[in-house]
Amino acid sequence: MSVKNISITPGWEKYMTKEYQDLVERGPYGKQKKVSEMGSFKEVLEEHPMCAGCAMTLFIRLTMVGLPNPEHTVLIGTAGCGRLALTQTSIPFIYGNYGDTNAVASGLKRGLEVRFKDQAKDVVVMAGDGGLADIGFSAVMHSWFRKERFTTIMLDNEVYGNTGGQESGMTERGALLKMAPKGKMFEKMDMMGLAQTAGVAYIARLTPTNPTRVASVVRKAVMIAREVGPTFIQAYTSCNIEYAIPTPKVLDDAREIEAKRYGFTEIISDEAKAYLDSIDTSKKVKK
Amino acid sequence: MYLVAHIDQAICSETACRLCTQYCPEANTILYDNAAKTAFVAVDRCKGCEICVGICDDLAKHHAIKMVMITDLENQFEMSREGFRPDHWDGKHS
Ligand SMILES: Cc1ncc(C[n+]2csc(CCOP(=O)(O)OP(=O)(O)O)c2C)c(N)n1
Ligand code: SF4
Ligand code: SF4
Ligand code: SF4
Ligand SMILES: [Mg+2]
Repeated sequence: MSVKNISITPGWEKYMTKEYQDLVERGPYGKQKKVSEMGSFKEVLEEHPMCAGCAMTLFIRLTMVGLPNPEHTVLIGTAGCGRLALTQTSIPFIYGNYGDTNAVASGLKRGLEVRFKDQAKDVVVMAGDGGLADIGFSAVMHSWFRKERFTTIMLDNEVYGNTGGQESGMTERGALLKMAPKGKMFEKMDMMGLAQTAGVAYIARLTPTNPTRVASVVRKAVMIAREVGPTFIQAYTSCNIEYAIPTPKVLDDAREIEAKRYGFTEIISDEAKAYLDSIDTSKKVKK
Repeated sequence: MYLVAHIDQAICSETACRLCTQYCPEANTILYDNAAKTAFVAVDRCKGCEICVGICDDLAKHHAIKMVMITDLENQFEMSREGFRPDHWDGKHS
């Protein structure tokens, strides 16, 4: 897609839905929107059927604001809650089979590089902890070892939310869930450590407690994937249904988990750091 | 019937900090009226989670948002009817 592709052919405006017209006229295309501008521009995310007060929904919404070029981005998702919202964005979405998101993304990114030599196209995988750390684990690891240039975002609600509460590799040891009635017996997987071993250029772990931070981490991850190498974001996005969190307390829970164990961590390679510095300086020079 | 978020615009417009807008999980649901300098809610998009109430009370410390019965509202804004047209808002909605 590009801004030109989404514009409406003159004379046809009245046949397009209000939502589409609003998006073309007041959407975020062609200019990076800030989190502080939310509520004043038409977002690429529309209405969707995810649960009320879901932290994953908030994280997805903020991710869409952080994307540097939504008009040149392709999203890849799979079974799991997140795709219920991801499919309601005005960004091309590919529904990978459960487990093969990072294999699909690898091929797609390489294809786009051949097809669009003069226009960077960003590929972003967004899928659950089950989708990426369990069933998709080998495709994730191999895409990292091969240094495929796209971003992987794990929506880590520490459970299989969409299928009613099974434990995943990312569930905390001891956590009681509907289908882990005796508590999970094994440790939470260290995906950050695995990403480091595989040489991922930028790795971040965070919660949605700070919206500006979420957008900025996403922007960095996508920019670095464009020029340097694979990037990985692991985001705590609680499932208020399976963990029985009353919706008014969802952000209190995120703050508590952040303080207790999740934190905010970034691990960035020297090459990625140098690249980020270079784009920041080039912006200053332009002014 | 169900509860939706409602913003007291007299309180909100004193600061219009825009914090609630950034934490609402739903897209384009808490909107910002530039002319009236206040946030307001698209009731047809609000899922009633109350996250914004906690943000305004505890983080912003302004206490401008309450949950109200949707049937008790007058002149509420519905996105599906009016679309996203900031030029037309101008303090018109409750
Ligand atoms: C190959 C395959 N196995 C199993 C399923 C059933 N399935 C659908 S969603 C899901 C779990 C989703 O968990 P997660 O990836 O953590 O996403 P969440 O819903 O928690 O966001 C499973 C097992 C499937 N769709 N495909
Ligand atoms: S089941 Fe859990 S993760 Fe899925 S939409 Fe509902 S609250 Fe969010
Ligand atoms: S948090 Fe409260 S004061 Fe701030 S914009 Fe929202 S309603 Fe207004
Ligand atoms: S109650 Fe929830 S959905 Fe409704 S406006 Fe507040 S944060 Fe948004
Ligand atoms: Mg999950």
